[in-house]
Amino acid sequence: MIEFQDVTYVHQNGVRALDGVSLKIEPGETVAIVGENGAGKTTLVKHVTGLLKPATGNVLVDGQNTRETSTAQLSRKVGVAFQNPDHQLFSESVEEEISFALRNFGFPPPLVDKRVKWGLELFGLEEYRKSSPLVLSGGEKKRLTLACILAWDPEVVILDEPTVGQDSIQKEKLAGTIGMLASSGKTVVVVSHDIEFLWPIQPRVVVMKAGRVLGDGPASELMQDRGLLDSARVAQPQLVEFFERLAKRPRAPFADPLEARRWAEGEAE
Amino acid sequence: MMWLSSGFVFRRGTSVYHRLDSRVKLLISVLMFVTTLLVRSLYELAAVLAFMIVVAAIATVLRRVARTMLFTAAFSLIIFVLNFAITRNLETSLLYATRFVAIVVSTSLFFITTSPDELEQVMKTFRFPRDVVFAFVTAVRFIPVMFLDTIQIMDAQKSRGLELEKGNVFRRVRNMIPILIPLVVNSVVRSGELAEAMESRAYGAVPRPTSLVEYRARATDKVVAVAAVIVFAIAAYSFYFVLPARIL
Repeated sequence: MIEFQDVTYVHQNGVRALDGVSLKIEPGETVAIVGENGAGKTTLVKHVTGLLKPATGNVLVDGQNTRETSTAQLSRKVGVAFQNPDHQLFSESVEEEISFALRNFGFPPPLVDKRVKWGLELFGLEEYRKSSPLVLSGGEKKRLTLACILAWDPEVVILDEPTVGQDSIQKEKLAGTIGMLASSGKTVVVVSHDIEFLWPIQPRVVVMKAGRVLGDGPASELMQDRGLLDSARVAQPQLVEFFERLAKRPRAPFADPLEARRWAEGEAE
Repeated sequence: MMWLSSGFVFRRGTSVYHRLDSRVKLLISVLMFVTTLLVRSLYELAAVLAFMIVVAAIATVLRRVARTMLFTAAFSLIIFVLNFAITRNLETSLLYATRFVAIVVSTSLFFITTSPDELEQVMKTFRFPRDVVFAFVTAVRFIPVMFLDTIQIMDAQKSRGLELEKGNVFRRVRNMIPILIPLVVNSVVRSGELAEAMESRAYGAVPRPTSLVEYRARATDKVVAVAAVIVFAIAAYSFYFVLPARIL
C-alpha cells in the first residue's frame, strides 16, 4: 500500500509543489492522477520512489517510510517510466537496456535472459534486440522504457505521461498493457493529461491543483463533475460530454455514459 | 553541477548592480580579476576578497557567492596541497589557493548578474563574429536546461536501481556512464533541432540583423566605470608603492 500522510513539498525556488496531500493507494488499484501543468502530479509520484523527500509529513510504501529508505531499495518495489524516454536510454543494445535494472538488482544471469526475452516479446521489440535504443522511433523508445520497468516485475508501476508522442494504435496497446497489469494484481499509477486515454480504463481518479487533491473517486463519477474538472482545468472526456448533452433530450436512450459505452461495445461485438 | 548552477547561472534581480550596464559589470569583474593577480600578500588578497564580498552584497547575491566560494574551496584545497608539496611554503600555498577562490568569485559576479542577452551585447561591443556570439550565448543559456536534464536523467536511472554514491572511486565513475550518455545524446539532438529551428526562422539571412533592445550606457554607468578604474588604480598603486613589500 502507498500512503501519503499530510505531505508537503517545497521546491528550491520556493514554490509549494505539494500542500498537505493525504492519499491512500491500495494494492492492485489502478489510479490516474490528473491536473493541469504544475499541479504537482510528477512531484507526487517522485515521492513514492524516494526521489523527493517530503518537507513535512510522510510517504509510506508497504509500511516503509521513504525518508529512511534509498531510491534503489524502493525501486525494487516501485517501477517508474518517466515521460521522456531519451532521459534513460544509454546502452549499446535494446537487450542490454532492459537488463540494466535487473543487473543492478543482482538477478542471476539465466533469470535476466528470461526476463529480457519476456519484455521484448511483450512489447514487440524482438527484432531490435541487438539494435541501439537510440535509433528506435519515439513510440518504440516509449515501449522499451516500459519493458525496462516491467522486466523486474515491480509491485507498483508508475507511468508518467505514457501517451506523449504515441499514436492512437500505441495508445490502445498501452491501455491494454495497463489492463493486463491491473488484472495481474499490480498497483498501477498513471499520471496523464490525456483524459480520452484514461476514460475507457475507468481508473480511480485523483484530481490535483496547485499541490492539493481537489477530488478523488471513480472515473465514472468524477468525470461527470463539471465543476470539479473546470476548477482543476481538466477537460471532460468527449464521450461523457456527448452523453450529458444527449441525456438532456426528452427520450434519452441511456442513463449514463458508462451504460452507453457498454451498449456500444456490445453492439460492436 | 550544483556549483555551476549556483556560481555561473544568471537569475533575474533588481539590485543596483544588476541594473548596471553589462559592459561596466564586465569592467568591474576584469579589474577585480587583474587585482587578484597583482596582489603579493595574503593581507592584500583578503582586502580584494572583502571588496568582492561588498560588491556581492550590493548585488544581493551574497548567499550564492558564498556557496560558490564553498564549492571552489574543494579545488583550492588541491591547489594548496600541490603547492605546499612542491614549495614547502605555507604562505605562498595559501596565497595561490585563496587567489583561485578570488578569481572564480570575480568571474562568477559577472555571470550571475548578467543575462544572456546582455552578454550578447557585450560580445557584440567587442565585435566578435556573430556565429561565435550566438554559440557562446546559447551555451550559457542552456546551462540551466542541461542542469534540469541531468536531474531528470539521474532520477530515471536511480529509479532503475542505479546507486551513484555506492562503491569505490572507479565504480562511481563507471556509474556516471548511464547519466552522461543520455545527457550528451540529448544535447547533440537538441543542438541539431535548434540549428534547424534557427535556420527556419531566417538565421543568417542578412549579415547585420537589427536588435530588439539597444543598450546605452547611462550617466550612472559611466560614473561607476570611472570609479571602478580609480579604485583599481589606487589599489594597484598601494600594493606596489605604499604597502610594505612582502613578495612571496
